[in-house]
Amino acid sequence: MWNRFIKDLKAYFPYARFSAKSDLKAEVASSYLNWLWWILDPLLYMLVYSFITVIVFQSKVDYFPIFVFIGLTLWNFFSKNVQGSVKMVRQNSGIVSKVYIPKYILILQKLIVSGFKMMICWALIVIMMAFYRVPLTWNVLYIFPILVEIVLLTFGCSCIILHFGVYVDDLFNVTQVVLRLIFYMSGIFYSIGDRVPEPYKTIMLTCNPVSMLIESGRRCLLYESVPYRKSILVWGVISVLLCVAGVHLIYKNENSYVKVM
Amino acid sequence: MEREIALEVNNIWLRYKCLSSYSIKKSLLRLKKADTKVFEALKGVSFSLQKGEILGLVGKNGSGKSTMLRAIAGIFSPDEGTIDLHGNTVSLLSIGVGFQRELTGRENIVLSGMLLGFSEEQVRSKMDEIIEFAALGEFIDMPVKTYSSGMHSKLAFSIVAILESDIILVDEVLSVGDSKFKRKSYNKMKQLINDQNHTVVIVSHNPDTIKELCTSVLWLHDGKVRMIGETNEVVNAYEDFMSK
Repeated sequence: MWNRFIKDLKAYFPYARFSAKSDLKAEVASSYLNWLWWILDPLLYMLVYSFITVIVFQSKVDYFPIFVFIGLTLWNFFSKNVQGSVKMVRQNSGIVSKVYIPKYILILQKLIVSGFKMMICWALIVIMMAFYRVPLTWNVLYIFPILVEIVLLTFGCSCIILHFGVYVDDLFNVTQVVLRLIFYMSGIFYSIGDRVPEPYKTIMLTCNPVSMLIESGRRCLLYESVPYRKSILVWGVISVLLCVAGVHLIYKNENSYVKVM
Repeated sequence: MEREIALEVNNIWLRYKCLSSYSIKKSLLRLKKADTKVFEALKGVSFSLQKGEILGLVGKNGSGKSTMLRAIAGIFSPDEGTIDLHGNTVSLLSIGVGFQRELTGRENIVLSGMLLGFSEEQVRSKMDEIIEFAALGEFIDMPVKTYSSGMHSKLAFSIVAILESDIILVDEVLSVGDSKFKRKSYNKMKQLINDQNHTVVIVSHNPDTIKELCTSVLWLHDGKVRMIGETNEVVNAYEDFMSK
């Protein structure tokens, strides 16, 4: 399977890249302010959550706007891709029923698109960090393994969801609810470390990879501390296993996807 | 003259499972398991094609012609049996290739070409030829969603016809566009067919097209080979059968 994966990746990656580039271009071309929404969307949500948390719940967190922004950036990348992969094959039926394409290439294409948008958000985070004069340490570099891990985790989960999305008609509704649940449990607009009592705190930070990665990102970028290195390592291994399982699942079943549609 | 074999189809079986889509809601409401009916689209079909040969596929609706083409194109693999392409590239030419609606015609040419297994440079080098053949005028730089269905198929046909895969599979596409384009595409088809490097499989319900273009004909009936052989013989037998 490994050889086939490498071969297919080599053959189809140019397609995924070109298609992603065209998608982004089309988004910019279709309306003048569209690309502005890539920035405005997380910024406005940041304001909403800042309002709720700071004014309604009177919580005090240092650098709260950046704190929320980091959470939202990582969360949006994960949830939008996972949610999008449910109907991926059906939405691309025009392609899927006309040529052979490894179906995870469709996910890869979306990952490139949202990865690009995420990079814009990270640029904004850097600007905000400079604006707030956040003190920096070498721990900042931990953000790179965190980014790699969120990509692997998202790809693995998306592949598995894509497979079941073909066969289960109402999976979309289920993933919507589950993702909403994970959203509230991931401490995107509150700090799990400060607000949640033990033992739930440890459970939420070790069993939920998204909240673990978000908290780790905040620790190394904002609070001059070391991220949860052990958890990152363990979830890194699990993410790779998820990717292997997902790709295997797709390879084994993708031939019958067209027949179901 | 012995020519090399381009395509070998060996005893393939292809089954569709009806009702295989499943919903959590449905299975909660109705606890007994829905029985899945299995529909056999192809039942042990084998044939082989030499390079440069033009095969016509005939048969009534639902006899497995399109399934056959899709299996050869690799869109789904057969449940049993093998399809050997001998390393040739293959493309399926059917009405309305999957274009990305938001993107321009130009970008879709590159995307479709890449999906057919060509590199970006290869597609770009043939770009002008494709655009000229499709004759869409200024629409080539507009999003595909603004195209009429005729323009859609014209572009689809042009991409596959100009890029020239080794094996071309044609699914009822010779009636594309207005009469001018029809004539043009028909001539292009003939040109591709006369070129000894291409192997073509054509599905058509029009006996005249088949008679004019094909070097041999395969008659599929209920997923089985009913007859295979010389064009006139098979087409006449098929027409006799259909007029009964």
